[in-house]
Amino acid sequence: MTFNVLVQAIISGILVGGVYALIGIGLTIIFGVMRVINFAHGELMMVGMYMTYFLFTLAGIDPFVSIVITIPLMFIFGGILQKVFINRIIGTLPQNQILLTIGLGLIMSNSIMLAFTSDYKILTTSYSSASVSIAGISVSEPLTISFLITAVITAVLYWFLMKTDMGQAMRATSQDREAAQLMGINVQRMSILAFGLGASLAGTAGALISPTYYIFPQVGSAFTLKAFVIVVLGGMGSVIGATLGGIIIGVVESVGAVTISSDWKDVLVFTIFLLVLLVKPSGLMGKSRM
Amino acid sequence: MKSFSLTASDTRGFSAPALVIGVAILAALFLFPSFVQSPYVLHMMILLFLSTIMGESWNIIGGYTGQYSVGHAAYFGAGAYGTLILLQKWEIAPWFGMWVGIAVALVLALVIGSICFRLRGPYFVLASIAVAEIVRLTVLNTPTVTNGAEGILLTDIPPFKIGATVITDFVSKVPFYYISLVLALLTIAVTWLVQHSKLGYCIQAIREDQDAAHSLGISLSFYKNVALAISATLTSLAGSFYAIYIKFIDPTTVLALDLSVQIVLIAIIGGIGTIYGPVVGSLVLVPLSEALRSNVIAQGLINSGIVREDSGIGIFLKEHLAHAHVLIYGILVVIVILFMPDGVLGFVKKMTKKSGTGD
Repeated sequence: MTFNVLVQAIISGILVGGVYALIGIGLTIIFGVMRVINFAHGELMMVGMYMTYFLFTLAGIDPFVSIVITIPLMFIFGGILQKVFINRIIGTLPQNQILLTIGLGLIMSNSIMLAFTSDYKILTTSYSSASVSIAGISVSEPLTISFLITAVITAVLYWFLMKTDMGQAMRATSQDREAAQLMGINVQRMSILAFGLGASLAGTAGALISPTYYIFPQVGSAFTLKAFVIVVLGGMGSVIGATLGGIIIGVVESVGAVTISSDWKDVLVFTIFLLVLLVKPSGLMGKSRM
Repeated sequence: MKSFSLTASDTRGFSAPALVIGVAILAALFLFPSFVQSPYVLHMMILLFLSTIMGESWNIIGGYTGQYSVGHAAYFGAGAYGTLILLQKWEIAPWFGMWVGIAVALVLALVIGSICFRLRGPYFVLASIAVAEIVRLTVLNTPTVTNGAEGILLTDIPPFKIGATVITDFVSKVPFYYISLVLALLTIAVTWLVQHSKLGYCIQAIREDQDAAHSLGISLSFYKNVALAISATLTSLAGSFYAIYIKFIDPTTVLALDLSVQIVLIAIIGGIGTIYGPVVGSLVLVPLSEALRSNVIAQGLINSGIVREDSGIGIFLKEHLAHAHVLIYGILVVIVILFMPDGVLGFVKKMTKKSGTGD
């Protein structure tokens, strides 16, 4: 294995890791604000993928442009899910929350399967397999664009959480729900906002990878697991942790695929996950929340 | 958590009518194949028993100990693969192979227990999923031993002999019916024994409050591991039975996360931490998903005139409803979590109690 191959693996790992980070940030915000572990997170991403697919095939909207439509739609969808279902189980046993979101995920993936069959759909754009070559290292074009979009979205999100009143209210809720409530923060609204935000981030991630990934109803569960690995690695509830975790997992997968084999890369990821749970369950950024 | 103590006292002594009904049901179940020869009906009963075995075994660790393992497919797969690999490659009969399956499942349980039981709540759930996924990927990626994604197809089962007399040659479904019935009764009996033993009281104390249980001198890791070992053994038996009965296994059917989730749902939908919860869950889930799978529901909607067969919806339902039988699991679990926290069994008990006091 040459040095170039390794560098290329690291770069494409970072690019994919950006999208992983987006999925992880959504999950971590939901956990931070509501203490609910969302097992339907990958399914939300899958819904985003289907939205992007149909916007592209029916209306001819480019997947990277369509996020302008996907983000608000997924926000509303997430808000409704929170209001109708998740809100009823906040503060109950974690097991019940897990099972409820597993149930919602099953409903989402199977409804999509019922409506559009389980056939693999492929979204082929003019640039799907295009790549640019810089100093002998070829970089996938759609992955690069999606990484740039991810970076912009993450930056906007940081600004929102750190600088705006609403963002501060959200951070306060995630630090201490009851104290935040005493301070006059509408925690109900924060929960809807958090789930809406989480859903739209997952949907965006779905939109961003749809030019380079197969689209099928069961695609979600693999990403749900990946999202957990990322969030636990970074520290539950930490946005910076999820960003770091996403990129680390992206690089581990991609380097693992070239150094060991692509069949075993997921085993590697899960082993790291177990090690983190055993050695440092609070994750890399466990102390600081958001 | 009140209902748990209620059910415990309900089953401590058997009242005379309950005993009569119990014996009558048992007799009916054992005589069933002499009256009903339809392979389809027998198949449904076998699926019902299999589902009961899986639900009851999960119930011991999930329902009684409160450790929600969402990785039980690993033990099921250990039983299924252990049995079939030995049978297909070395021609070792399944009634020996299943012990190897159990041994593998126990080793797995020990490893999983030592890693995961240090973690609590959601972390435990995530760790159990991760270990099961590692097992699935390992089986998938070692095709020399396990045939990988292709799976293992069982070509023939050796007849079961004692001495020189052939007890059964496994041609019809009847032997499978009795094996699964006995296994289901065995798991129910084990659950009953566990509930009424010291082990049962300790694991239920752990479920209610780990720290309080620990402060009373209950060894958390010992009792959790014992409960998991019992649960893993029974789940592995279910896996061995499944492999021999269905005669085909691959990582997607016996090791996937979907299976782990379905095992949990059997107990959740029926009612966790009760002896008959998983039985009720199976009675609800197996017929429902089978009705969807075999298109009875789509056909029923058409026959009853609600949907016209040649209309767009009719054609659509006939073609697709059969593929969406898992949808019913999703809808049921959402309903159960939101409206019936003690499962269908707990819900029915509450309803009958209400109407009883109303009279």
